[in-house]
Amino acid sequence: MPSSTIDVARATRTRRAGLLDGYAPPKGVFDEMIGADGKVRPHYSQLVASLAAMSDAERGRRFSSAAQYLREAGVYYRVYGGSERGEQTRSWPLAHPPLIIERSEWAALAAGLIQRAGFLEKLVADLYGERRLIRDGVLPPAILGRNPEFLRPLAGQASDGRPLIRFIAVDLGRGPDGRWWVLGDRTQAPSGAGFALENRVATSRAFPELIRDLKVQRLAGFFKQFRETLLSLDDGKGLRVGLLTPGPANETYFEHAYLARYLGLLLLEGGDLAVHGSSVVVRTVDGAKPIRVLWRRLDADFADPLELHPRSRIGTPGLVRAIREGGVDMVNALGSGILETRALLAFQPALAKALLGEDLTLPTVATWWCGQEAERAYVSANRHRLSLARAFPQTVAGEERRRPLDLGIRRAEPGGLLDDLDRDAWDVVGQEIVGLSTAPVYVDGKFEPRPVTMRVYLARHADGWSVMPGGFARVSSSTDPLAVAMQSGGHSVDVWVTSDRQERQVSLLTRSGDASFSRRLPSAPPARAADNLYWLGRYVERAEAATRLVRLHAARLAEGERKGALEGHVVDLLDDLGVDAKKGGLAAGLLGRARTAFNTASRIRDRFSPDGWRSLGEVVDLIERHLAEPEPGDLVALASEVLTRLSGFTGLVHENMYQFTGWRFLQAGRLIERGQVTAGVAAALSGKETPEGGLEALLEFCDSRVTYRRRYSVDLSRETVIDLIALDPLNPRSIAFQVNSFRELLDELPGMRRGETLADVSRRAARLAVRLATGDAREANETFLNRIAADLGAVSDLLSQRYFTSGPTPGADRLNVE
Amino acid sequence: MIYDLALNISYHYPQDVKDARHILRVRPRAERGQRLMSARVTINPDPTETGREHDFFGNAIDHVLILPSHDALKVTMRARVEVTRPRPDLGLTPTVAEVRAAAKADRESGGGGPMHFLGDSRVVRISEPLSSYAAETALDDMPAGEAMLALSRRIKADFDYAPGKTTVDTPLEDAFARREGVCQDFAHIMIAALRGIGLPAAYVSGFLRTIPPPGKPRLAGADAMHAWVDVWLGPDMGWMGFDPTNAMLALDDHVVVAVGRDYGDVAPIDGVMITAGPQKTKHTVDMTPVLV
Repeated sequence: MPSSTIDVARATRTRRAGLLDGYAPPKGVFDEMIGADGKVRPHYSQLVASLAAMSDAERGRRFSSAAQYLREAGVYYRVYGGSERGEQTRSWPLAHPPLIIERSEWAALAAGLIQRAGFLEKLVADLYGERRLIRDGVLPPAILGRNPEFLRPLAGQASDGRPLIRFIAVDLGRGPDGRWWVLGDRTQAPSGAGFALENRVATSRAFPELIRDLKVQRLAGFFKQFRETLLSLDDGKGLRVGLLTPGPANETYFEHAYLARYLGLLLLEGGDLAVHGSSVVVRTVDGAKPIRVLWRRLDADFADPLELHPRSRIGTPGLVRAIREGGVDMVNALGSGILETRALLAFQPALAKALLGEDLTLPTVATWWCGQEAERAYVSANRHRLSLARAFPQTVAGEERRRPLDLGIRRAEPGGLLDDLDRDAWDVVGQEIVGLSTAPVYVDGKFEPRPVTMRVYLARHADGWSVMPGGFARVSSSTDPLAVAMQSGGHSVDVWVTSDRQERQVSLLTRSGDASFSRRLPSAPPARAADNLYWLGRYVERAEAATRLVRLHAARLAEGERKGALEGHVVDLLDDLGVDAKKGGLAAGLLGRARTAFNTASRIRDRFSPDGWRSLGEVVDLIERHLAEPEPGDLVALASEVLTRLSGFTGLVHENMYQFTGWRFLQAGRLIERGQVTAGVAAALSGKETPEGGLEALLEFCDSRVTYRRRYSVDLSRETVIDLIALDPLNPRSIAFQVNSFRELLDELPGMRRGETLADVSRRAARLAVRLATGDAREANETFLNRIAADLGAVSDLLSQRYFTSGPTPGADRLNVE
Repeated sequence: MIYDLALNISYHYPQDVKDARHILRVRPRAERGQRLMSARVTINPDPTETGREHDFFGNAIDHVLILPSHDALKVTMRARVEVTRPRPDLGLTPTVAEVRAAAKADRESGGGGPMHFLGDSRVVRISEPLSSYAAETALDDMPAGEAMLALSRRIKADFDYAPGKTTVDTPLEDAFARREGVCQDFAHIMIAALRGIGLPAAYVSGFLRTIPPPGKPRLAGADAMHAWVDVWLGPDMGWMGFDPTNAMLALDDHVVVAVGRDYGDVAPIDGVMITAGPQKTKHTVDMTPVLV
């Protein structure tokens, strides 16, 4: 009907006016959405129209679907300092709408970035090769000599001609004249590419039709090509590629796990690797397996305690020598962080001329290195209109912690770098303050202009560099152009690059040209991962056992039973499981158990689905919420709910996880723990001293009341109860069942083939199984049960010795000299 | 002068260690007035792997890997070295100001280039008190060689030679504040002081003649591996050794083993292993003239 069409159009106009109401970029600033004529730029018009056509509720629904995706995927990063807890995990702050860049502009930017990447590649090749730039006086000697990222043990590593950098990032900002400026290069271990991928998935959830209509360029093709490059670097040996991470304590560990899973790489820590001769191997549960290529996310100085930072506990001794001997290819090379030296920006025109014979097309923020007298004087005189920054990359020993997502832009503040201008001028640069462009950010029903910077990624392939069509943009939480730092409360937004054709979806799951099909079993997990999986199994089971005991205990108190001897026994058992009833209460104790399981899972996030990890996180949340309530709720209800979630985790793992070596270790942990706990509880609740109700409680703990009633009478007898929960091989809760299942698993573990000489752990488990099979319920007294528990402990130790060998640590074996 | 050198390093571990990887920097250098006639390193238990190479600074390195469990490690080095270092005329060296300017401009980027020895390194940090200490003694218009000897003498006079009061991990600032230490502390102090006034200074580890020539006093630090300082005195003179522990030039009584920015670059032995606790270590040296 004509009239209603008009109404809709009017309503849309009003809403659009509402969306852009009061949108006023600061004077003299380039705005990404609104042109100088005050009109919406053409490449933004569709986004504006589409959002304007939505009600507030509809927009809210879409933004929260993006947020929900990120939450469910477990996207987070760590924040250092600032809070009392010292360090905390934050969920990923994604803002809307995406930054949109029109395709022809992007093409020009990409060409400039590719030129820059080639320039950086040549620069680092010279610094780790002939060092002509120093010899010919293009660079002052101090730029090399005082550079903490010039790694002398690898001073000649460029001589074989292999590119030292293959994956880099460039930080960009757009100046008032509309040109993109280079703010800095990231070559050490650039972070954020995985977050960019996750941002894209999230915005696809929020705006599927816009992505389609604007023909937004996809990111997967870039990663697919990079992955193929990594796979090709082992000279056709077909070995797996590793992603070397500093470990779960790192602020971007989530990203490492995510990228490893996305690209199908082995997520490795320094301790997972060993050097044999000049080759690098992974310590797996199936022995040492060679590896040739490592995508490095670990800062170079930590990589080898023997030749680099002597106190590094996350490195691999001998790694640097293996690199010198050509036994392993690092992407990027150790020492490539030297390109992040800000002082280099001061020499860029001369460097470009010397290395490329031409100027760089992308302008760089004007930089003065104060290691030279005239420049120092200039910066000192102009200190109030420049920003000051460290000229050299920060070392580990430096006072400032490296912040991978921080641009490092600071205002000149008295007491800091300004003082250094007089004392340590060599470590200071003055930089022109770039007036950043603003991009719209949706806040409370309206767009607001916020300063924006963009990180763009490039990868080196056999035939040159390519740019990821998109990136990772940051918007400030205030309008101050210097405040764009994720660490100080900024947000990220997705970057959309438009195109003129609809791209086909690329999946990393298939490799082009792979015509033949063959089923491949996963390779053996690193010993550390298996160790964590085993303990995850144990901790989840332990949390479950503790929860059962808490429920049992709370239910009896709720029924008004008087504190009796049985309660004392249960409290002791809880104490054995790490739940101290006196300290903080039972719920707090359960929280500790749940957190331990969750933290263990967090260390091996690449090994199972985000759903599984999240379900453990929900257990923690559940108990935390319970504890936060002013009136503590019903403990029985809480325990029941926790048990439901835990069995949810178990179900997910059982249903979804590929049942190979890693799964077997997880399973083994559960079986051992359940057997051990059941034996301990049975001993405590069925002994001669046990007060009334013990056998009933035991059946309840073992979830075997129904089975018991069905098989035996309503009368409880100690022998029948013990037979059911300890010796009966058909009861899935019995100790015998755990031991038998464990033995079956054991046979499938690497190096445990049937018929061969038994390993210690198999022999011990076999003896235990025989004892349980031939046991008689009448003999199965407290001593018998306690011995079973101790035997399971011994089996666990033997399994650990056999499979979970750890790497060496730096010893303090230094000589005092006189 | 020809010397026979003997170095014995032994470790005793209270519990077995395994997967031990070491770097040894114990072979004397063959350069700058030193001729290496022979050198042999033996390791017990038998290493799983060994390898030899030269590092960035030109020091000879032995890589050692011992996989099996062991509760002791013994490293011995035997060498014969000829040392010929004529006494230089320090009055002919360029002035402190000239050396500073030449050092800043020098473009030799290899391991012997002064550019690597002007800034902070892992152990040595430039700081105001140390820089002032050097500036008081090494005046801009003094011949740099004389200034260095004067600084070495001042350190010997100002500081107590006190074995056992400091360890390899004592920050040089502490030793400086307490005015005591051993050769390593004095070397680090002198290096930090010199870098603070723009002079290239390197850490030298090596041997000192055990029994002095007749009529001369026994030198301090001769019972263990010794440490002193190389200072760069311009492109013509190059590097020259000064021993602040003994307030002397490092000439015929000194044998250079390794040179680096600080102790971290030249430690005679570094290692990483699977270990369960502390360890006991002992090392002895002997440097005796060969009568020919």
